[in-house]
Amino acid sequence: MTQRKRLSTARQQGTLGTQEEDDDPTFTQPSTSQVQKGLEKLTPAQVDQKTAEVVQYFLVKDQKKLPIRRADIVKHVVKEYRNIYPEIMKRVTRTFDQVFGLKLVEIDTKNHVYILINKLETVEGPSSITPTNPKMGLLFVILSVIFMKGGVVRETLIWNTLKKLRVDPGEKHEDFGDVKKLVTDEFVRQRYLEFVRIPHTEPVEHEFHWGQRADVEVSKAKILEFMGQLHEQDPQSWSQQYREAHSTTDSSQASTSSQR
Amino acid sequence: MKRARAGGDDEAPRQNGSAGRRKVDRQQSNGGDSGYGPTDLQDDDNDPGLRREIRSRYRELINSVQQNREDMLRPSNNKLTEVLEQANKLFKDVRQAREAALDAQLLVVATDLGKEKASQMFAEGTAFDPTAFAEHLLSFMGLNRLEDEEDEQNGGTVEGYLPQDAWHRLARKAECCFRTAPSFHYMMGSFHAEPPPPKPKIARQMKATSKDAKRIMPTQLKKMDDSHQEATEKEVERILGFLKSYYQDDPTTPISYYEFVVDPNSFSRTVENIFHTSFLIRDGLARLYLDNDKLPHIAPVEEGDVEAEGSCSRKQCIVSISPKTWKELIDVFGIRDTMIQPPSSQNE
Repeated sequence: MTQRKRLSTARQQGTLGTQEEDDDPTFTQPSTSQVQKGLEKLTPAQVDQKTAEVVQYFLVKDQKKLPIRRADIVKHVVKEYRNIYPEIMKRVTRTFDQVFGLKLVEIDTKNHVYILINKLETVEGPSSITPTNPKMGLLFVILSVIFMKGGVVRETLIWNTLKKLRVDPGEKHEDFGDVKKLVTDEFVRQRYLEFVRIPHTEPVEHEFHWGQRADVEVSKAKILEFMGQLHEQDPQSWSQQYREAHSTTDSSQASTSSQR
Repeated sequence: MKRARAGGDDEAPRQNGSAGRRKVDRQQSNGGDSGYGPTDLQDDDNDPGLRREIRSRYRELINSVQQNREDMLRPSNNKLTEVLEQANKLFKDVRQAREAALDAQLLVVATDLGKEKASQMFAEGTAFDPTAFAEHLLSFMGLNRLEDEEDEQNGGTVEGYLPQDAWHRLARKAECCFRTAPSFHYMMGSFHAEPPPPKPKIARQMKATSKDAKRIMPTQLKKMDDSHQEATEKEVERILGFLKSYYQDDPTTPISYYEFVVDPNSFSRTVENIFHTSFLIRDGLARLYLDNDKLPHIAPVEEGDVEAEGSCSRKQCIVSISPKTWKELIDVFGIRDTMIQPPSSQNE
């Protein structure tokens, strides 16, 4: 009898161990009925407290603009309340929406990864108090080129364009430091860009795509508008890009799958 | 490799099937003037020099496509088509698998480029030129172009310097395209952490003092040890000298042990005498014996007697004396003078 008991606990410990490394093999979304049962056992104050903790966790984690994993939320904050996880997330989304004006978006439904974006449009004009981050300027250039070139560009095109702007990936830049690392590592981890290897290339070459964050956070229409101003052309003269920019405005920003 | 049969534009049966098919296509596209004569092929087949030449020309073509990629991509020229035409001509002379492999490689590279060129054409409207984009951006960021004539001589690159806040300016403008959530941070910032108080100084001072103290100690001790050892040995020898001289003066009269060791002037000297005398007895240089009255007497051991004494068993005893006993001894034995002179009065 004791032997069997020992074996079962060992198996439990084993799964717990793997849980820390993998995304969340043991966390399955509880069903609605399970959530109901869980809610009955808790006081409203307890649920509110847990919701507030998750909101705080998101706000702090979002500082670096790295995506937040569901596995981490469950492990570090929700913990024993995991059986009412969907209810907590529902309330968290509502809090962000009503209190902060932010949108919680699950950018990867397979790996369950979230980001926070702004619901409100940025106010243009000189009244901005917050200091600007020059990295955003660099990112903007890269995203624009990719978009105008149909969504995929080879890395050499990006490097050459940047060189013309006095930004050399081989040298340390005054504002950006290690440019190559910023573009191929930081922006990629933040999901602004995707840096994919092209097969059969020798020496190895990569292509750039828009990342999942860029898809929901960046407005193609606004980029095209700025292009028009820069080149002193009508944005509609780039007809293909224009079509793409204005067709996706309805679908992309609507992907607020925050039911999970 | 079987060489081609004679016959102008006929498709030759090739070992490499796909190559043969391609050859057919090319012949058709070229208008059929690419046939090879039957006569010259027999020799060329195995001429290593020619094989090498063909291979190197293929490699050249491949290199040129890879190196001049951007150049070839420009819609303004037909360089890619020219490369393909050259490859066609080369292919006529291909006989062996190695060369055909190179040809295939060139085709992969060229097709790749072709695909990219085709994708350039996707924009029905105006094409997007990144170079022009970059130049417009520089102007937007506030590039101060030099007004000199040198500017024109520099050709393509635009001279001038970008202001410090160039990228900030662009970032500000780009902000409107992003819907970034503002980062959470404390309004007043974080607290100012002070450096830890300097602690190492105290520890070092303590170490310094203890070191000095230790250094003094060993030297002092050494001196003591030495003097102590020597003093004892010297005393023992001196006492032996006394004993022998007294014995020689009068060998017949036995020397009373008590009279020998007791110093009526000093109790501590008496104790020292007993201590030193015990060494003599231990080393077998003197002997204690009891006379008829059972009183102890001491006598030096003569050279000859050493062996005789060896047969008899040695005895041990512990001698103790107190000031009271010492005074009694002085009274009983009437000891007026010490037999062992203290060392200070000695002239060595």
